Amino acid sequence: MRKFDLIEPKSLAEACALLGNHPDAKAVAGGTALLTIIKQGLLLPKLLVNLKKIIDGSAITFDPVQGLRIGALATINEIETSEIVNRHYPALAEACHVVANIRIRNMATIGGNLCHGDYQSDPPTVLAALDACVEVMSAANVRQLALTDFQLGSYETALQPGELLSAVVIPPLPAGMSGHYVKFTTGSSEERPCAGVAALARIDGGVCRELRLAVGAVSAKPSRITAEALAKDKILTADLITTIAAEAARAIDPIDDVRGSADYKRHLVGVLTRRALEQLANGKTEMKS
Amino acid sequence: MKLAIATTINGQREEIAVHPNQTLLEFLRDELKLKGAVEGCSVGVCGSCTVLIDGKPVSSCLTLASNIEGKSVTTIEGLSQNGELDPVQQAFLKHQAFQCGFCTTGMIMAVKGLLNAHKQPSEEQARDYLSGNLCRCGTYKEVLAAVKELARP
Repeated sequence: MRKFDLIEPKSLAEACALLGNHPDAKAVAGGTALLTIIKQGLLLPKLLVNLKKIIDGSAITFDPVQGLRIGALATINEIETSEIVNRHYPALAEACHVVANIRIRNMATIGGNLCHGDYQSDPPTVLAALDACVEVMSAANVRQLALTDFQLGSYETALQPGELLSAVVIPPLPAGMSGHYVKFTTGSSEERPCAGVAALARIDGGVCRELRLAVGAVSAKPSRITAEALAKDKILTADLITTIAAEAARAIDPIDDVRGSADYKRHLVGVLTRRALEQLANGKTEMKS
Repeated sequence: MKLAIATTINGQREEIAVHPNQTLLEFLRDELKLKGAVEGCSVGVCGSCTVLIDGKPVSSCLTLASNIEGKSVTTIEGLSQNGELDPVQQAFLKHQAFQCGFCTTGMIMAVKGLLNAHKQPSEEQARDYLSGNLCRCGTYKEVLAAVKELARP
């Protein structure tokens, strides 16, 4: 591979200090994104800070008050197979399961996924629906910001020099809230998404008390659909589902890419939103990926 | 400067030195002359460079060699024991689950990973797990037949 040097800190704090002292260095964890870019010659860093030798950065813990905390070095496979994640946030396990292939999921980390900032990805869409925050660490302090403020655009994040994403934090869900991630690929099954929709709802005696709808992979970052508010205290009838799906398709600002034209993505978001909402209305808690 | 690490490769404890920018695939092929894992796409898509790290499949083309420190790596060369082929290799032979053979070493290692994750995988689990190992000869049907036999209790 192209030439670079490697330093291997043993703790997150040490990694932050190294990144602070070497502003041109790049942090690498699973390597599935960064090494691909280096091989393609799009980025030629002289120094990589290897996070894989850090032992304490991948714990997944749950607390009923604080919610879920995923260490940034947890692999996508560790998240999809985590008993805690499957019990409390099954939609996140679902989205992690449909990322790329098993080899990539065994290597790639959630921190790397978010810091890479690729809009054509599955986990960020569900994380947007789950109101996730990220914990960002530097040698001097730790700050927390909403995921939607962390992702600034395509391959662009709020990460400053000397900072590392140390954890993803997801608040507890309101009792009874559940939902799904619906992915559509225009290539083979392990492809990146052409569009993805995450829908979570709290349905009480047939009445929807709260709906959360997020759309990803169609524009520079995932977005919440404001039409989700239309479902509050309503029954998810076919008419209402059609209205919200049409609003979702209208609200997004899709871009053309190799996986589909903007027009196609807009159409797709309407269809996927309708499917996701129909599943919620039918009370299906299990969805096949 | 090379990095000195301790690792286990095909059951053998080794003290090795790797280049900072060396991938595991480069290390296996160029230094250890283990040529079973092959380079197809070199970006983690095709699966022909699949090896197991601590029993789980990874793309060795995207794994930094240094990251096998303290881990156990299994390659296709480590499967047969005392001259006897591994059951997965035998099932591939029996069902002719290959044609040109380029994807085969990776496909076999992926099936090893599948059987580590699910002792008796259903066809659906097998299809899902193996979806990232591409075979341009199209031997998927035969691979699934081999897995079906291996999954029998």
